[in-house]
Amino acid sequence: MTSGKKTKATRNSVAAARSSVVASKPKPWGTILAVIAVLALAGGVFGYAYMQIHENNVKEAALAKWKPSDTNKDPSTALAGIVTKEYKGSRHVEPTQRVAYDQTPAFGGPHDAQWADCTGVVYDKAVRTENMVHGLEHGAVWIAYNPDQVKDDALTKLKAKVEGIPYMMLSPYPGLDKPISLQSWGHQLKIENADDERVDQFISSLLRNPNTYPEVGASCENTAFLSNPAPFVAEKPGADAVPMDGGKDDSVTEGQPQNPSTPPASGSASTPPSS
Amino acid sequence: MSVPETDEVSGRPSGVVRALVIGAAVLAVLLLGAAVGLLVKLPGSTSSTAAPASGSVDVGFCQDMSMHHLQGIQMANIARDRSTDPEIRQLAFDISSTQLEQVGRMKGWLMMWNEHEQNISGVYMKWMDAAGVHGHGATTPEAGKPLMPGMATTDELTRLRTGPAGREFDVYWLQLMLRHHVGGAPMAEYAATAAGQSVVRTLSDNMLKSQSAETELMKDYLAKRGAAPLP
Repeated sequence: MTSGKKTKATRNSVAAARSSVVASKPKPWGTILAVIAVLALAGGVFGYAYMQIHENNVKEAALAKWKPSDTNKDPSTALAGIVTKEYKGSRHVEPTQRVAYDQTPAFGGPHDAQWADCTGVVYDKAVRTENMVHGLEHGAVWIAYNPDQVKDDALTKLKAKVEGIPYMMLSPYPGLDKPISLQSWGHQLKIENADDERVDQFISSLLRNPNTYPEVGASCENTAFLSNPAPFVAEKPGADAVPMDGGKDDSVTEGQPQNPSTPPASGSASTPPSS
Repeated sequence: MSVPETDEVSGRPSGVVRALVIGAAVLAVLLLGAAVGLLVKLPGSTSSTAAPASGSVDVGFCQDMSMHHLQGIQMANIARDRSTDPEIRQLAFDISSTQLEQVGRMKGWLMMWNEHEQNISGVYMKWMDAAGVHGHGATTPEAGKPLMPGMATTDELTRLRTGPAGREFDVYWLQLMLRHHVGGAPMAEYAATAAGQSVVRTLSDNMLKSQSAETELMKDYLAKRGAAPLP
């Protein structure tokens, strides 16, 4: 350590001896190492626990992001491309009447008294919109697809999200401007393909979300409709169609038997969702 | 090797080192305490009044049994529409009204717990995986297969709705409903003991008992009509 001079070897050795004695007290290496070891262990355990919990929180947060709750009543508003509109639970129309919907496909507004059965139903043929909208009012999610663009694998994927799953319905929608359009009451999201993660996110956010549909607790069952679904009407609604606000005066819109030859007639002829 | 430097003022250096040692020891204790705090839940925090976590038996049971029940209600309602046999219509009413009421309870709890009112994960009965449940547990449905044990397929429901009426309908309905009851029983059985909430344990235990009685009744009804349960 120290390069002592031989002339003062004795003094040095004494000093060295003293210093070593003095130094041995303030430098308890064993204790220091033990403390460092404990510190490292504690840091490790804390770090591990923190990471585990953090990871868990991140996972939960990712899930919770699309789960309606007291503090996040409508998670769908965070979905890119979502379109929302405020619709009240609205009046019913006759099987022969059309509604002048403001959206395509419609996702709210006046609708037929018969709701389209939404007990996890895959409709092979396009269904009358006035009935589908009533299904939405009961908390269902309706997946509409353009039958010219969505087939085979893509269609199989959509079916798997619907068949047998309560409050889900799937139907072709001729002339749809995007391959797939998701509807729930007051909400719509149009997407390009069935693999889009937003399909599940939309469903998670809105399926029977008690904050977003008017008739909480309503049933999706309608056996009569399921046995004989009202067919889609391609023609645009005529001037006598029920407006979105349901008509100022019900008696005016109801009392229109004098012109049954306008477009609704073609729909009404093949639209008997009886009983 | 900076060791020699500390010994320049003899007697004092121990103060610095001691402060360091004590500081480090305190830090270590705090870190350990924090880690233990993160890892350990106080007994009170899992009391039966706290909302059960996502993925718990309580949430899973309420979600999956609601879905299972809804199909039972659906089938019972078809019998109310189609059967002309007072015995069948009475049983169908009992099943649909009871199960709808139970679904309402379960969905009410799920709403209080801020959970989805139905399972949207596409994997059912995962909550039964925890303990050694004999042969049951998570099911991932395939196309054309039922979502959960005992449930009818779309084709079977279509036949129930549109097939022949009369005695043939009654028998087929009894067969499907019997299978439905039997298939749902393991869920109720599991939740009756494994659920954390006493209200869930009570309800599932109750389902188990009342449905066992109905199961026996339906077997009798089938025998009376000269038919057997589905294989």
